[in-house]
Amino acid sequence: MADLQIDHVTKTFGDTQVLKGISLDIADGEFVSLVGPSGCGKSTLLRIIAGLESQSSGAIRIQGQDVSGVRAADRNLSMVFQSYALYPHLTVAENISVPLKMRQLSSLQRLPVIGAFMPGAHEKNAEIAASVKHAAQTLEIDRLLNRKPGQLSGGQRQRVALGRALVREPAAFLLDEPLSNLDAKLRVQTRTEIAELHRRLGATFVYVTHDQVEAMTMSSRIAVMMGGEILQCDVPDEVYNNPLDIRVAEFIGSPKINILPVEASNGGLRFGDVVLPTVAPKMLKGPIRIGLRPEGLRLAAEDAVLTGQVMHVENLGSEIFAQINLPGHDGRITMRASPAQRNSLHIGANIGLAFEGRAALLFDPNGKRVFNPQVDPVQSEVA
Amino acid sequence: MDIDETHTPNVVYAETAQHRTAWWLTAPALCLMILILLVPVVIAGILSFTDYSLGNDTFNWVGAKNYDRLFSSSTYEKMFIATFTYVVTVVPLSVGLGLGAALLINSMGRIGDIYKTIYFLPVMATLLAMAIAWEFMLHPSIGMVNRTLEMSCGTVLEFIPFLKNGCAERFPLWLGDRDYAIWVICFIGVWQGFGFNMVLYLAGLTSVHRELYHAAEMDGAKSAWEGFRLVTWPALGPTTVFVVTISCIRAFQVFDTIEAFWPQGGGPNKSTYVMMFAIFEKGIQQNLIGIGSAITVLFLVFVMFLTLIQRWLVERKVHY
Repeated sequence: MADLQIDHVTKTFGDTQVLKGISLDIADGEFVSLVGPSGCGKSTLLRIIAGLESQSSGAIRIQGQDVSGVRAADRNLSMVFQSYALYPHLTVAENISVPLKMRQLSSLQRLPVIGAFMPGAHEKNAEIAASVKHAAQTLEIDRLLNRKPGQLSGGQRQRVALGRALVREPAAFLLDEPLSNLDAKLRVQTRTEIAELHRRLGATFVYVTHDQVEAMTMSSRIAVMMGGEILQCDVPDEVYNNPLDIRVAEFIGSPKINILPVEASNGGLRFGDVVLPTVAPKMLKGPIRIGLRPEGLRLAAEDAVLTGQVMHVENLGSEIFAQINLPGHDGRITMRASPAQRNSLHIGANIGLAFEGRAALLFDPNGKRVFNPQVDPVQSEVA
Repeated sequence: MDIDETHTPNVVYAETAQHRTAWWLTAPALCLMILILLVPVVIAGILSFTDYSLGNDTFNWVGAKNYDRLFSSSTYEKMFIATFTYVVTVVPLSVGLGLGAALLINSMGRIGDIYKTIYFLPVMATLLAMAIAWEFMLHPSIGMVNRTLEMSCGTVLEFIPFLKNGCAERFPLWLGDRDYAIWVICFIGVWQGFGFNMVLYLAGLTSVHRELYHAAEMDGAKSAWEGFRLVTWPALGPTTVFVVTISCIRAFQVFDTIEAFWPQGGGPNKSTYVMMFAIFEKGIQQNLIGIGSAITVLFLVFVMFLTLIQRWLVERKVHY
């Protein structure tokens, strides 16, 4: 168990800069997700932490010790790969035992056939077998120990890959999109299991994913990466409710946040001709954008702020998402409704929408967050 | 559910029709296989129990006499020794060198392509033509090999016993020396064959999953050797079985170098009298079809045995 420090790490491939000075402190026992769209550099960052790739500049510290130049095998980290990377010729038990054998047995003791007769090999092999069994029991794969990876389902392979990572006690676990090859149902189940595993082990986890739901549900903190930078790193609640950048707001949350172009003047906001109930900081002028979460919108009759036409309805059973076309705005906005409101949300219906002034997130023309004076008067004055 | 219930007469009819079509479609291939593969094998098998000569109208059954001679005559003892010496030397060396070259080329960038071409050249060249080049190079007095060796005379290299003896008396006759002839043949066999194995291994190496090397590294495999043992070698298992079998069969079939060097009979003191050459000499040159067929059948048994081992290995050990 250890803490990790990523200090101004950059990485360039030829002319392209993939990582633009990433800094991140990960405390001991924390579960940090690196989330972002594909190509944002999150996997590269993880591989740099692992030592499978070297950074162009900056430093990685594990428990305060700079590991730049230390090779992957000596960094004492465990990694779960997206493809699981199980050795196809070894059984499950042998796969899980590889990290222990490589570290605990001498090269003579690892020799095939005669290695088992080397002095001390018997005791060590017994210890390793016990550790493998324990890890397998933890993951409930002890019945599969004699099978080969080719005979396992995707979910079982994923568990074996996890087993291989947790059979020893590494400084930290690195997981590279471990759920992306599973079907939706299994993904939800395994998500819970990995989160529980983290609680039980109390170890440091760095988890790379492009799926914001995974990041939201499992992490102690989320680092949203885009274009080789960390845009925001905070607890899931804060990242969702208080995105500091419009790209973060758009990436986190499903369905996506609604972005509306508005005009700010004299502390008020207008969408087309409509005056919005949101107050803007006085100095803000000209075109800006606001973000409204689908759950921040509600159906309204007399006090409607916006009016539009229902174009499409998605009924998920426990909730309904309606896509609404606003006149004078290209692109639809999404609102969440309860099943009880189903009748008023048929396709083609003209409806009124309202929202609380404080529900709107304000973004300046550069996409940076401007604090809403209704929500946080102190921060808005600073801004 | 009872399956029989679904079998209405129509279905049965359709099934037999389908079976018949299947037989019709395979018939041409089957006919050809029987005609050009099985029939000659059977004929060779039958002839191996006779004293038939080409041109004769009749023949006599001689029972197992031909086989008896194969296992008692000293000429055939030399044949077996030469053949197995060649196989046992050439197969491991050409497989090992092929693998080594493939690994080295695989670890290189673009320059690897040049080496790939160089090592593959002997495979593409006609061995018969190459044999003439080798014959010149190995000529005892004007050959390049002995000329080069002579250059070491009078230098520090003379502390090597082989060179010391060579300088004091003479360097080997190579193709004319019964102690060296088979090894020269082996050397040419390895030189000619390993490029082919290298290409097969290069193809095998492309199928090794790169992430496995990273997994091995994370698991604590520090040296290249450990990575090779944990990832590369097991992944090349199917390739290795194929390469070894092919190399064995090719080694059993060695003929053209020997025919080119010693058209009159299997090298000095029959030290390079390999099976293929024996078949050619007995069956074609001396028109002793019976004994020639017996050697052919024995040859077939060896090759079949190797192929069966390969099938067994492919299905059992290296399959995952």
